[in-house]
Amino acid sequence: MTVAAHSQQVAGAPATSGRRVAGALLHDRAAVLSSAFLALIVLMAICAPLISAITGHGPNDFDTAAVNTDLGGVPHGSLGGIGAEHPLGVEPQNGRDILARIAYGARVSLLIALAATALTTLLGVVLGMLAGFYQGWADQVICRVMDFLMAFPALIFMIAILSSLPQGNRSVLLVVVISVFGWPYLARVVRGQTMTLANREFVEAARASGASTGALVFKEILPNLRSSLIVMTTLAVPGYVGTEAGLSFLGVGVAPPTPSWGQMIASSVGWYAVDPMYFAIPGTFLFLTVLSLTVLGDRLRAAFDSGEAA
Amino acid sequence: MARYLAGRAAGVVLILFLVCLFTFVIFFTLSPDPAVMICGKTCTPERIDQIRDVLGLDEPFLAQFFGFLAGIFAGRDYGAGANLVHCAAPCLGYSFQTNQSVWDMVVERLPVSATVAVGAAVLWLFLGIVAGLLSAVKEGTWWDRAAMGLALGGSSVPNYVLALALQYVLVVQLQVLPFPQAVAFSDGPALWFQSYLMPWLVLATGYACLYARLTRANVIDTLAENFMRTARSKGLSPALTMRRHALRPALTPIATIFGMDFAALLGGALITETVFGLNGVGKMAADSIAKNDQPVIMAVTLLAAFFVVIGNVVVDLVYTRLDPRVRITAR
Amino acid sequence: MSELLVVEDLTVTFPTTRGPVDVVKDVSFTVGRDETVGIVGESGSGKSMTSLAIMGLLPRGATTRGSIRLDGTEVLGASARELRRLRGDRMSMIFQDPLSSLNPYYTVGLQIEELYRAHRGGSRAAAREVVTGALRQVGLPDPERRARHYPHQFSGGQRQRIMIAMALVCSPSLLIADEPTTALDVTVQAQILRLLADLRGQSGMGMVFITHDLAVISSIATRVLVMRRGEQVEYGTAEQVFAEPRHDYTRMLLDSIPRIDDPLDEVSA
Repeated sequence: MTVAAHSQQVAGAPATSGRRVAGALLHDRAAVLSSAFLALIVLMAICAPLISAITGHGPNDFDTAAVNTDLGGVPHGSLGGIGAEHPLGVEPQNGRDILARIAYGARVSLLIALAATALTTLLGVVLGMLAGFYQGWADQVICRVMDFLMAFPALIFMIAILSSLPQGNRSVLLVVVISVFGWPYLARVVRGQTMTLANREFVEAARASGASTGALVFKEILPNLRSSLIVMTTLAVPGYVGTEAGLSFLGVGVAPPTPSWGQMIASSVGWYAVDPMYFAIPGTFLFLTVLSLTVLGDRLRAAFDSGEAA
Repeated sequence: MARYLAGRAAGVVLILFLVCLFTFVIFFTLSPDPAVMICGKTCTPERIDQIRDVLGLDEPFLAQFFGFLAGIFAGRDYGAGANLVHCAAPCLGYSFQTNQSVWDMVVERLPVSATVAVGAAVLWLFLGIVAGLLSAVKEGTWWDRAAMGLALGGSSVPNYVLALALQYVLVVQLQVLPFPQAVAFSDGPALWFQSYLMPWLVLATGYACLYARLTRANVIDTLAENFMRTARSKGLSPALTMRRHALRPALTPIATIFGMDFAALLGGALITETVFGLNGVGKMAADSIAKNDQPVIMAVTLLAAFFVVIGNVVVDLVYTRLDPRVRITAR
Repeated sequence: MSELLVVEDLTVTFPTTRGPVDVVKDVSFTVGRDETVGIVGESGSGKSMTSLAIMGLLPRGATTRGSIRLDGTEVLGASARELRRLRGDRMSMIFQDPLSSLNPYYTVGLQIEELYRAHRGGSRAAAREVVTGALRQVGLPDPERRARHYPHQFSGGQRQRIMIAMALVCSPSLLIADEPTTALDVTVQAQILRLLADLRGQSGMGMVFITHDLAVISSIATRVLVMRRGEQVEYGTAEQVFAEPRHDYTRMLLDSIPRIDDPLDEVSA
């Protein structure tokens, strides 16, 4: 009798806790600010063509009038060419509009980060639950693979693979490579939680009452992993935004002329002394995006944790 | 104990073998023919065949792979007759670009990476733990909020952005540091210190922020433990209560994380070394990747994996000394 | 005769988001030398907060009113230094869960030794002698060797014996035992209870015994204080309280004790 009551209570928890977490976040200034900034970035990414249409500059349109060819291509004006014509200035030498490149770059960064997070989560949850639920040899094999991948010098290897692969569709390759090295960190947590959940009384009760494995996994275990999954994936996104930018910075990310924030920062390395805005603007966007995502993940975790304690 | 160590050693060898194999397979199947690359633009088919023959590139995959492995343990010979070159025992082959012995390149550059890693580690451990401790003790005060806000911000700055910003402020605007360049210790300790200061700062920032947050969380958790209540109920001095009863349980988990982070850094801080032009293993990795210099890529991948795996074992062994509850048992 | 511990109108208040809450309200009782007073109540009744107030160990933010005097010394409002001198020396406390109450990183010998040396000073070698004696006194076999072991290497009952040895190493005049047997097996519970009663009888100290279990109190306490929701609902000698409880709540607690002479079907109902 008590077992049934317990499982009912657990099953009923997520719906109310979702509303409670949302409420807690709405009362948190940092969380609201972060969400607002992220909404702005997403909007910018979606409306990139619109922004180009309004300013009249595409991401790859050269504007030699905006740079001083006599001074080696430094933008006219004091702040890297910021003005009515180019709200965020232009690139040195070729005069490409930075606002347009930031907006199109946001598309690339966010798409890759979100896709990598989705793939990582899928791999991590499936393999982690397999290992935790069946244990035995499946667990052994999956754990060895995780040990192996985590011992791997991932960054060096990602760069090596990406540099030797054909140019092809770099974005897809990036997502795959990032996910292959990223899933063990999530799977390790999922495995541990599945193991404890599988031995909890309400799962045992469901098993004793003849529930199928599928029903056990989807109705009893997965809903209980939900809050930690939300937190882990939110905290994974900023990591992948950073990884994508880092790989592009090192020249093995998305191939030019497709703009990406990391690539923009990489090309500004030679110019930081004469045109600091060139690295400051993409650098600031990258920093604020990563920060917002981290803050949001952090606050989500705090909100979930305080719910568990109550 | 001996059995445990033997088991761990076998695990280390197995993982390193797999890393080798995996890397070898990827390059064998994916990358362009190295013989063509070495040969350059003015090239004849005969010359390419000769290069293939000398490097053993015409042999089947397994022969090449085991040739490489044998080279590491026993050394190997390239070519034959008058062209014979012997590569002594830890043989990682020769760079396709410079014809230098890869082992010599690694030995030459490892001290630079170690200097970067050690200096940064000292900085981040000190800053991170002190800030985290203060925040935990003053939980909820303005200092705590400010320090943790800063830590959250600091861990969100990609290190190449920080590197550029620091260079702009310290070198271009304030002119307190010279333009970054590789300086040996023998060129003068002051100059050497100046040249490493920015790399240390850049590398240490992210870790210091992370460690500050970890330390704070661990100390707060420990202060809430029942044994802290016992320590207070015993009438011990606050200093002894904090130092003996709170710090050791709170900092022990950080020691293990530090071991892993530090080991990973010994394999080269790729981005930092590249940005500041330091000739360490990380920059070597970036350069070799850019030029598809396979023997060097193999070597840096293996070296980095070696440090991570060894670091893992060392951390586990040290942990048994730090936490009396953990005892070594052979699996 | 003068009482050892006098608690008068003790009120403990916690600040919460919904305003201050009194977790202990106007509680008064006394503990004589050579006497055991039991405090009974369910969890959240304020019994543990009362004991923490006596020890000066209330969580940060808690405020107190009233008076607590140990041997004539006022404990409420005493300086941190004075409190430290009292704690462990003149009054000691043992807790519910001995495993989490001992620091896992240090040997049990060191954890007793540091308490002794904090109050009595002296060399480590001398302190170690005392520790061995204290461990022997609580019935731990082979105390010299066992002092070098860590908490996780002992059984639950042994750990509570170690906690008792620690609490008594400076021969305090007051021992507060906060649910000392709740986390233990039933057979071990009886052993620990007997040990506590024996040691208290030998040393002639006063003891405050906190529990939710009236059956335990009946075997050990001379006076009983029943608490509910921070308030004291009943206070008197054990005979009085058990024979003619004045409050409904006490009667309910008494009724819930299973008795050997109860018919079986009533117990399972």
